[in-house]
Amino acid sequence: MKFEIEKDVFVEALSQVQNVVSSRSTLPVLSNVLIEADDQGLTLSTTDMDVSITRKVAAKVSEAGVTTLPVRKLVSIVREMIGGDISIDVSEEHTATLSAGPSVFKIMGMPKDDFPELAQFGDDAKEFTLDQVLLRGALRKTSYAISTDETRYVLNGVNCLIGDGLLCLVATDGRRLAMVEQDLEFPGGENFSAIIPTKAVLELQRGILKDEGEVKVTFTSNQAAFEVADTRLISKLIEGNYPNFRQVIPQSSNHRVTVSRDLLLDAVKRVGLLANEKTNSIKFTFRENVIDITSNSPDVGEANEQLDVKYDGPEMSLAFNPDFVMAPLKNLHQDEVYIDLIDGNSPGVIKIDEPFLYVIMPMRVAS
Amino acid sequence: MSDAPQDSTPSKNLHGDLWQKVSKDLREELGSATFDLWLSKFWIKEILHTEVVLMAPGSMYAIWVEENFENAILDSLRKHIPNCSGVCFEVVSTTPNQSPADFEKEETFVDPLVDVSTPTASSSSKKRAVHETIDEDELLKRGRSAGLVEIHRFENFVVGDNSQLASAAAKAVSEKPGSTYQPLFFHSACGLGKTHLLHAIGWESLRLRPKSKIIFVTAEKFANDYIDAIQKNNLSKFRNKYRKADLLLIDDVQFLGRKEGLQREFFHTFNSLSDSRKQIVLASDCPASEINELEDRLVSRFQWGLSVELHRPGFETRAAILRRKRDDWAMDVSDDLINLIVERVQGNVRLLEGALIRVAMVAAMSDSTLTIPELEETLADIAGNEEISQVGVREVQEAVAEHYDLEPEILRGKKRTARVAEARQVAMYLSRELTELSLVEIASGFGKDHGTVIYAVKKIKSRLSSSNSLRSSVELIRRRLVRDRAGSGAARQGASRASGASLRKSTEPQFGDDLRFSSDSETLA
Repeated sequence: MKFEIEKDVFVEALSQVQNVVSSRSTLPVLSNVLIEADDQGLTLSTTDMDVSITRKVAAKVSEAGVTTLPVRKLVSIVREMIGGDISIDVSEEHTATLSAGPSVFKIMGMPKDDFPELAQFGDDAKEFTLDQVLLRGALRKTSYAISTDETRYVLNGVNCLIGDGLLCLVATDGRRLAMVEQDLEFPGGENFSAIIPTKAVLELQRGILKDEGEVKVTFTSNQAAFEVADTRLISKLIEGNYPNFRQVIPQSSNHRVTVSRDLLLDAVKRVGLLANEKTNSIKFTFRENVIDITSNSPDVGEANEQLDVKYDGPEMSLAFNPDFVMAPLKNLHQDEVYIDLIDGNSPGVIKIDEPFLYVIMPMRVAS
Repeated sequence: MSDAPQDSTPSKNLHGDLWQKVSKDLREELGSATFDLWLSKFWIKEILHTEVVLMAPGSMYAIWVEENFENAILDSLRKHIPNCSGVCFEVVSTTPNQSPADFEKEETFVDPLVDVSTPTASSSSKKRAVHETIDEDELLKRGRSAGLVEIHRFENFVVGDNSQLASAAAKAVSEKPGSTYQPLFFHSACGLGKTHLLHAIGWESLRLRPKSKIIFVTAEKFANDYIDAIQKNNLSKFRNKYRKADLLLIDDVQFLGRKEGLQREFFHTFNSLSDSRKQIVLASDCPASEINELEDRLVSRFQWGLSVELHRPGFETRAAILRRKRDDWAMDVSDDLINLIVERVQGNVRLLEGALIRVAMVAAMSDSTLTIPELEETLADIAGNEEISQVGVREVQEAVAEHYDLEPEILRGKKRTARVAEARQVAMYLSRELTELSLVEIASGFGKDHGTVIYAVKKIKSRLSSSNSLRSSVELIRRRLVRDRAGSGAARQGASRASGASLRKSTEPQFGDDLRFSSDSETLA
């Protein structure tokens, strides 16, 4: 197998696929990238058995073939090589010779046989086409609320619901819940629900959904594929039923606070520095057109800050975990956010002018 | 518990009443909006021992309420059931409209409004103890299924002065489970009989009360079962298994160290068993307080009943153990040879058995009787191991320096501030106790003469009886040294001497570290 490829193109393609490779894989071949060369160019694939990424890239192939090479080594070597083009020659014994300018590297690869077969999608698969920007935005607005508690594995991902003219993405860890519910007509009209695991969600945000345009999504009952231009990500889905999250979303609220997202985020960040160490909470007191944000950590100190807002309801106090307040604020871009409140014991709901809501539970703090 | 008499009390009404009371509290505590939104559709399904099982109308309700209101619910339940140990949630799996009335109770009912420690359960097990007998085959069958190993019975346990207290406690617990020492906690270096005693308690309890449910597991097995249960999502099955045992024997509990989730689960298991007066016996390779990163609440529970250390056996006990083994295994080894083995091999019982097997084999292959040099050659590598791991003055100095937060060099230097002087004297004292070295050799390790060492040893000895803090410091360092050495695979000369010393002391009541009697301390049977 023999090919020549532009250095920058190769580095970019390799870095895109290398993220999936786990640093401590059980099978040695899983640290490698599968390289398939034919007259179309190269196909690079990596997998950790749960998530795999395949990337096609243009190259001048003079001799077709297949091999696997250690991906981290390969990226760092290629990145450091001098010269515009790199030529790579892989022997029958899977030793790759890389040459560019004055340098020549040899690295040992492994035959393709050990590399796991990538998933195939049959006829029962359901296909959807989504807007990349929309999906990326929706994942960003929800994924921070994914639970990391492995005993509740169905919550270790984003639940994606399609149907009834809606696309709904939701994530929760039992203390807060983030949801994006967007009107979206899908041809075919079949309803579908899938739980996309955290790793796939991160990879999608990091390396796949980068541009504008469309992403082709394919679901089967246990896996999903996301395809953008030359790149395809395949992930196992979390098996099990996502709980009926609508049960915890308050149906009505009594009072609305309108507040600048930036100012609120910064204030919470500052006051949160002295959050009560025991309960990890800070107190929000809502008064007419003002929020007093205060924290008090015995033996450490206290902080308070006043923030001008739009609010005309009764005075009420709630304690929240500052990280849980900041997480959605960091991942939104709107200037204004709304906080909907019921009373001093009930959850707050953060909303924006777009389809999004975030339920946050107040903490019980002994008064 | 499962075979206790079925109680036909209409439990659901009581549960309904209880839930109404709790609801009222919660509504005040959380506000009616929150209560109506999430909690109004819950109900109490059953009460297992001291844990309340709540039914949730949907899995999201269960998750959300557990995350956010578990403590509030527990606080409120405790007002009505003072010893309530936890709540767990189950989700209605059939039709969501099913009402509480549709759920019939199958489990034995424990009246939630009566203190659970009332003797309903234990008295019924006592009754059985008097009347039932069991034949040997049946006993073996039941014992094996409980995870017990046949050879580890009281008949096979050689009691020496190193293990007298431990075996007496073990027998007392077998006879009166749940009432004498709760829990019984054994600790010692490896190979000194902890596991044997655990099994023996299991066998004896089974013999006395054939129907009692006995579980023997290592903490690792407990952990694996727990992880399995999480994976397969059937925690309630796991809990039913462990929380319904009449006697739970757990080996190697030090394995719980550093595992928070597991400790939490174990904590609830422990509470639920001890609240219903079921016996728990634990074994560990170190005292509870020294298990790495063990939650305080577990440490305090482990120390609650009786904590007994098994010491290294003395010469006579070792010889008795080997003679017993020889007879069990029908080996042709003379008493003289056994005495020689015991003299040469001072370590734990496993080491002794290994030596015996080897000697028996060599003796069987040679025509004439073994001579002493031949025996020494046979045992050379076992004895050799022991030499290597011998503690020297330097190790003692390092351990002492670490304890006093000093550099070891200072102990060898001339500085004589009160703190350094005390540390130096302790180091000399421990060197004398733990090593075989002469006074002169010890003195040279400190750059002093032997008179100084004699003085230091005398001084520390006399202060030991008056100063509690010094005594606990010395014990701590000694234990660390002895355990490091035991941990490195073998033990030797100094060990028996050291443990002999701590055994003597552990019988003195002021050495409370080794002996913890339960509050209503009874004398040992």
